[in-house]
Amino acid sequence: MKKFSNILKYSGLAFAMIVGMAACDKTLEEPQRVGYSPANVDDKAGTWKTYLLTSAEEINVPAPTSVTSPEYVAELAALKGLSNTLTKEQQEAVVYWGAGAVYRWNEIARELAARYNIPPASNADGKYPVPDAANPLADPKFPFANPPYTARALAYLSVAQYDALVSAWNYKYKYKRAAPSKVDATLRVALPVSALPSYPSEDAVVAAASVTILKAMFPGEVPYLEAKMKEHLEARQWAGMNVQSDLTAGTALGGAVAAKVMGRARTDGMSAANNQALTAGMIEAAKSRGIKETWLSQEVPIRPPMLPNYGAVQTWNFDKATLAQIRPAIPYVVGSAEWQKDFDELSKINKNQTREQARIANYWADGAGSYTPPGHWHRAAANAAHEARFSEVRMARTLALLGTAEMDAGIACWEAKFYYYTPRPQQFGLKTSVGLPNFPSYTSGHSTFSAAAATVLGYIFPEQAEKFKAQADEASVSRIYGLIHYRVDCEMGLKHGNIIGNYAIARGKADGSGL
Amino acid sequence: MKKRTLLNVLLAATLSALWSGELRAQMPNDAIYMPKGTVCIGTMYTHSSWNQYWENTLKRENLNIGTHTTQSIMVMPAIGITDRLNVILSLPYVWTKTSAGNLMGQKGIQDLGAWLKVKAVDVKGFSINGLAGLSIPLGNYVPDFLPMSIGLQCRVVSGRILANYTHPKTGIYVTAHGTYMWRSNINIDRDAYQADDRVYNTNEVKVPNAYDMGARIGILKQKWQTEIWAERNSCVNGDNIRRNDMPFPTNNMQATMVGWYGKFQPKALGVNARVGYVTNGLNMGQSTSYMVGVLYQFGVKKS
Repeated sequence: MKKFSNILKYSGLAFAMIVGMAACDKTLEEPQRVGYSPANVDDKAGTWKTYLLTSAEEINVPAPTSVTSPEYVAELAALKGLSNTLTKEQQEAVVYWGAGAVYRWNEIARELAARYNIPPASNADGKYPVPDAANPLADPKFPFANPPYTARALAYLSVAQYDALVSAWNYKYKYKRAAPSKVDATLRVALPVSALPSYPSEDAVVAAASVTILKAMFPGEVPYLEAKMKEHLEARQWAGMNVQSDLTAGTALGGAVAAKVMGRARTDGMSAANNQALTAGMIEAAKSRGIKETWLSQEVPIRPPMLPNYGAVQTWNFDKATLAQIRPAIPYVVGSAEWQKDFDELSKINKNQTREQARIANYWADGAGSYTPPGHWHRAAANAAHEARFSEVRMARTLALLGTAEMDAGIACWEAKFYYYTPRPQQFGLKTSVGLPNFPSYTSGHSTFSAAAATVLGYIFPEQAEKFKAQADEASVSRIYGLIHYRVDCEMGLKHGNIIGNYAIARGKADGSGL
Repeated sequence: MKKRTLLNVLLAATLSALWSGELRAQMPNDAIYMPKGTVCIGTMYTHSSWNQYWENTLKRENLNIGTHTTQSIMVMPAIGITDRLNVILSLPYVWTKTSAGNLMGQKGIQDLGAWLKVKAVDVKGFSINGLAGLSIPLGNYVPDFLPMSIGLQCRVVSGRILANYTHPKTGIYVTAHGTYMWRSNINIDRDAYQADDRVYNTNEVKVPNAYDMGARIGILKQKWQTEIWAERNSCVNGDNIRRNDMPFPTNNMQATMVGWYGKFQPKALGVNARVGYVTNGLNMGQSTSYMVGVLYQFGVKKS
């Protein structure tokens, strides 16, 4: 017994120490992205078709001073001073921003979306106060960055980045000012230098365009965004990549293009997207179409549905007649044999959800506090484009094609949701393992967003098309496993999303990139 | 064959229990030890519920949760290796539910716990005890579907110092303890999440370490025990629940609890019970809990 107790004591202690050491290491490993020289600088991108600019020269960028001018020589000397020795913080900033301007600003936008993706709490009167853009940091914060809001914010961000970069590429190859380190080989650079002319700076273009859009989309984050932009521009000098006039010209161009893009955003119908006065008419219309039992909020107190008129927001890659044409057919009506079959499938999961079903539901949930399904797909696209070493302008094109497709998917899906106004499975007693979205069921937003995204990404990265399609299918079925959608919601959403994605592809094929 | 062996063991255990002189069901938070070669198995049912919680510091109700209830059945053998060295094991089955809203209840086997308890100092009714604890998740439950999750999936290593004075004649005692818990990172089903006001692009989540402190005063007799207690459980750091968001494993959860514990074990078979109430907290529910258990003590034959 004594021997046994000793063995137990020592093995127990040893085991505790091993587990203890494992428990102590709290370092999180996140994928790190670093800079690269693009696989192709896309020197003809100045001719690519823009979304909103009438031409690549709509915004004028003045000719730069020559690299032999005293002004440039002085700028170069200043740049040498800034890039010669770097503090640890400066080095870290260089590496961070060196991963890519479009890449980082897309990531920043997703992060803001996650931070603002919380539904308002009800107040003492049992009402849900509407977030106020004029008072963004009050409770509830503005915006509530739900999936439609985030899809739209990311679309405008990418379109502004893309249009501004096409214009920048035009001027780069028009003026052909070489990178500072090619003018003066003794300049110390901290990032890979490509053959791309440096005026105007693509980083400054992207930073200014992004900040202009994101300030409007997240008005409570102005100081944060300005600090990020300041660091981004400084990092370009710490890295020895841009002289001041490269940055100044880029900032002016990016800001002006984004201001024009915001002009569309202000008049795209978003301001009427939360018009709750329309819902009574929508319910009547749905009933007239044969929907017997319409959607009811399952929250206490009853919460008004999320953005019931988002379906009226202006689309990017097809018009409103097309939107009506491609709208999914009427779903199974409550009580029909087909509806019952879908409901029975959910009842079974409700009783006995497997761990694998829960895992899939959780992985794709992208609910409150996350950057939503459009954000999830933007991350996938940005990472794939980074791994393929896309130039800034090609990365922006990728994200603009994706972003516009995601916003179109959101609009078309929301239009269908409020056209049919169908009830969620929870209206018939089921629970959920992922949280219940507060808007009608048919079709599934996840399915529509994911199929549209996978279709677009399959076009841009053909060798990964199957992987993206499988991911979209899993995102879609995850909503069945999470018990908040009927199978018909998901299957029809996938088809709808695929059609929507193809409109973005048609645009991509006709944008003059030859891609 | 196997069945028969098990039956024999049970029978032998029952018999030896009937003859066992000392009855001393014990917990990881007392200074009671099982005598060498004896085992006490406690089987306890716990019911804990709240209808208000602290969202960060804001105390609130949630009409889409109503009353949240956690129940568990735990098997807890305490084994006397020597008179001054005990091992206490525990394994709970836990299930959760809400009275309102749509969140699916979770259920399953939670974490296997083990405590090694050593009486280091023992002078005239005064003792200092060192405890080393280890907890390992056994069930593959979802840790971040809070408040429905049945646990956090952490591996935990605990170090506890427990001091006790028991007046030899009256059995009146006071106990105080302090514990530090090293908690491992966990993996969740998602590969991105928000914590500390930022997005982490990984499925690995940092769960804060924690400590607890407790004080108890009571009477311990041969056949019964009664005490009142107060405990403070707290993370050493962590973030707060965001406005109107759900809790997350990175939250700095804190609670101050008061309660009563009692035990009655006239023979091998006994019962115990506990009630507890959270008086103050952070990022947690204000729960009221009760526990009832059956204790069974027996000797183990040396082989």
